[in-house]
Amino acid sequence: MRVSIRVVAAIVSLGVAMSAAADTTLRIFTGGQQRPDVMRKIADEYQKKNPGVKIEVEVGGATSEAQQQYLSTVLSSKDSVLDVILIDVIRPAQWAAQGWAEPLDAYLGADKQKILSQYLKAYVDADQVNGKLIALPYFADSQFLYYRKDLLEKYKRPVPKTWDEMMDTAKIVMDGEKNSNLQGFTTAGSPIEGTVCTYLVPLWGAGGELTKDGKLNLDAASSREPFQLYGRMKQSGVLPKNIAEIPTDRIRIDMQAGNLIFGMTWSYAWNRLENDPDSKVKGKIGVTMLPHDPGGKSATCIGGWQLAVSAFSKNKAEAVKFARWLSTPEVSKMQAIMASHMPVFPGVFKDPEVLKANPWFADALPVVEGAKARPVSAQYPQVSDVIRSNMNAYLAGTKTTDVALGDMKSRLTPLFK
Amino acid sequence: MSTDAPKPRDLSERALGMLLLLPAALLLLLIVVYPIATLFWNSLHSVDQANPQAGELFVGIDNYTRAFADDRFWASTLHTVLYIAVTVPGSLLIGLGLALLANRPFRVKWPVRLGLLLPWALPLVFAGLIFRWFFEYKTGVVNDWLVALGMEPPQWLSDPTLAFWAICIAIIWKASSFMALMLLAGLQAIPRSLYEAAEVDGANTWQQFVEITLPMLRPAIFVALIFRTITAVQTFDIPYAMTGGGPGDATETLAMYIHKTTLDFLDFGYGSALAALMFVISMVATSGYLRYTRRSAARSEE
Repeated sequence: MRVSIRVVAAIVSLGVAMSAAADTTLRIFTGGQQRPDVMRKIADEYQKKNPGVKIEVEVGGATSEAQQQYLSTVLSSKDSVLDVILIDVIRPAQWAAQGWAEPLDAYLGADKQKILSQYLKAYVDADQVNGKLIALPYFADSQFLYYRKDLLEKYKRPVPKTWDEMMDTAKIVMDGEKNSNLQGFTTAGSPIEGTVCTYLVPLWGAGGELTKDGKLNLDAASSREPFQLYGRMKQSGVLPKNIAEIPTDRIRIDMQAGNLIFGMTWSYAWNRLENDPDSKVKGKIGVTMLPHDPGGKSATCIGGWQLAVSAFSKNKAEAVKFARWLSTPEVSKMQAIMASHMPVFPGVFKDPEVLKANPWFADALPVVEGAKARPVSAQYPQVSDVIRSNMNAYLAGTKTTDVALGDMKSRLTPLFK
Repeated sequence: MSTDAPKPRDLSERALGMLLLLPAALLLLLIVVYPIATLFWNSLHSVDQANPQAGELFVGIDNYTRAFADDRFWASTLHTVLYIAVTVPGSLLIGLGLALLANRPFRVKWPVRLGLLLPWALPLVFAGLIFRWFFEYKTGVVNDWLVALGMEPPQWLSDPTLAFWAICIAIIWKASSFMALMLLAGLQAIPRSLYEAAEVDGANTWQQFVEITLPMLRPAIFVALIFRTITAVQTFDIPYAMTGGGPGDATETLAMYIHKTTLDFLDFGYGSALAALMFVISMVATSGYLRYTRRSAARSEE
């Protein structure tokens, strides 16, 4: 009896496999840090709704640069293996220049403006290059200040508004706890993409801008501000000595192990800190706006991931259909609950189920709406390399403010001619 | 082959020989000559994928003059040369020591051989990641030891000099096993009878090493050095995994700069010129060895 059931099951599954093989197979590329497990669940949902479509999830490098290096190889050779690709919010200009992404305007047709008006405006701006829609928003992101609620309460300190308040609080808590593993504040410091924001956030928080009307604007006094801020933090011991070796996910790991008071990182960390079995800080974490200078305003880098359809896909119509479904409030909500990925639709932030999983989303919407874009350039990888390697050298102590700023100026100038 | 005086060769036989060589020659052309030729061709053009509308223009030696005026090219070349200068002799010395050790008459040989093989079998980037954790500031085992000895733990990977030495240690660890394997093969080709004769003549171990082992091992040493130098010119994975070129660009090698120029910046023309220059550096380094071996071979025949 048991055997015959197995035989039937095998025949049925063989039949299913054969019919699936006869239909469309789409391959979506996502990074290792963008929760491929959640993407798989979402893709399963799509397969249920669309029998005959099979979704394969390909997982690439853990950092934005590693992913792009792989994608550059695939797409420069016009390979059709990928259909839908998750790209970083900093990439559309480069992708438009390369012709790697299928422009989506024609697929949206006359409804284009109506559809786009539902998204957070920043992403509509980021995904359109010279009037062409290069990608659809998948999830929103920006940097926040994560802090240890329990420790701030223990030492009766308010949630800091300025960098100096944050430094003072960190110092008081570190002195009080007498735990040599407890670090005051970290942000990305190793030579990776995230370190670009490590420079830009305090620059913006002091009212500065990297570019003005498309021209480099590094002569302003505010461009020294980030270096001086981190210099002060390093001197006071709030910033760990090895800050130049810290990549993005290390901030989450240190926080999760209970070894960090303040961390500047992206929204994905929340879900891990609250739900990972090994987290020592469940229920002890608060999330707020990043600090700023006394006279300035809180600022943050806009992040988030976009859905591009490969210009070399052999199934463009089906790929666009899948990408459009991934870019719906329904999927935004699923991601928010399963991965604390921030929605790209303002309305989803207020959804009761989303708020139950992420109480801090209630205050997050204005932060994301005010988040600023990193400089837009078809040569963004060079721009990023200059900023992050100089910031990294300064944090390591191998360059002074003057040298780091001078090198940034001389190498960025030809890129912003 | 006959020992008779060479006969004038039959033309059809020669034609057949050529025909039989053709597939191999074509294959070589396709997988060796074609990519190298493309590389040189690209290096004479502006192939900027970040700006594909510009097309592929012939720019002559512009990419090369740009390289000579590029501080980062010189800095990364200097770093590469320093890695060669430290890791080639370093891995030779340690590899020789390991080979001599493995050549001793152990009762059970395989654990020793396996131990020699393991670092070599490990992918380079894994070795880099492992050593990155060894030298990590807070959780690394090296700083653990230093703290246990009562020393102040240094930041190995964010100090340019310390990072350089940390990377050299990782490379030497990784490369020594390859050197040891090459040298072990050489050691085993030395006939035992030479040592027995030396013992009869009353030579001590050191004299045997200097008078028999080293001269007999010389061909193996040179082959090992050539291979090691070529891979050292291409040093990429270990610094890439350990520091990513940081702090700043202080540990960036030429291969890493080429990788960044082509795969991150998508500037294939300039990247090709840099790769062509690296090719020249490899050729210069190996031709130096080859000339030396040829000269010493000629001398020993005299």
